[in-house]
Amino acid sequence: MQTEGIKVSDELSKLPPQVQERFLRLQQLQQTLQSVLAQKQQVDMEQNEVEQTLAELQKTADDAVIYKGIGSLLVKAEKAKVTEELVERKELLTTRSTVLAKQEERLRSQVKEVQTKLQEDLSQVSPPSP
Amino acid sequence: MASRSREEEELRRLSVQLRLMEQTAETLQSRIGMLNAAITDLTYANMTLDGVEKEKENSELLVPIGGSSYVRVKLAEPDKVVVGLGAGVSVEKPLSEAKALLKERLDELTKSMQAAQQQFTQVAERINADRNRLESLLAAVRQGKTSGDV
Repeated sequence: MQTEGIKVSDELSKLPPQVQERFLRLQQLQQTLQSVLAQKQQVDMEQNEVEQTLAELQKTADDAVIYKGIGSLLVKAEKAKVTEELVERKELLTTRSTVLAKQEERLRSQVKEVQTKLQEDLSQVSPPSP
Repeated sequence: MASRSREEEELRRLSVQLRLMEQTAETLQSRIGMLNAAITDLTYANMTLDGVEKEKENSELLVPIGGSSYVRVKLAEPDKVVVGLGAGVSVEKPLSEAKALLKERLDELTKSMQAAQQQFTQVAERINADRNRLESLLAAVRQGKTSGDV
């Protein structure tokens, strides 16, 4: 894997500085996109879990004995209070998910743009095929 | 000449496709592992509830606290169980309801597990087929290059 990395950077150093810079920019953008995607997946999963818990809570009687996890402890709580907290958490997660979706969209278009420019650069740099 | 470049193009396409499918297989494998762990956990919980159901009030029990250590407790209410709903919220339920809920979750997980295993088998089959095609293409390209050199 390391030798492959060395080979790639060797190849990269033969390219004009402007193309090298664009290549690194593309890598950076792709890494940021991956990180945003991972964050969004995490937030969406959490949101899904909160929604399912809210649905289950709705099915339980109002006087049901509810517990809230605090660390490794379970503490008795009121259904109404727990529901309120979960609704608030759901709203927060929805907002975070929307923000991350916008970031994802922006990053995808930036990646596409840099990829197109890089392809143009490389077609000018690479020798004509025989 | 054109056929060689076609083969090289297919080689490139196949190797990218293989890499992607290998990633998918890895993801599926880790999903299967997680599902397996969850199924074992739920099966264990179900077995415990089956055991508790047979016990009377104030029965003496040893509750594991980790590190192969136990604390001695008395069963206060054998018919009441606290079940997690997710998102850090748990609810007290009659034992029979808790068992039904766990059974429902176990069934869902088993279905997901079967689906994931099926997907994994399909991906593994495609990986094998693509590997074979890749190897024969590589051999063809190498042969073409050698005869071209002569």
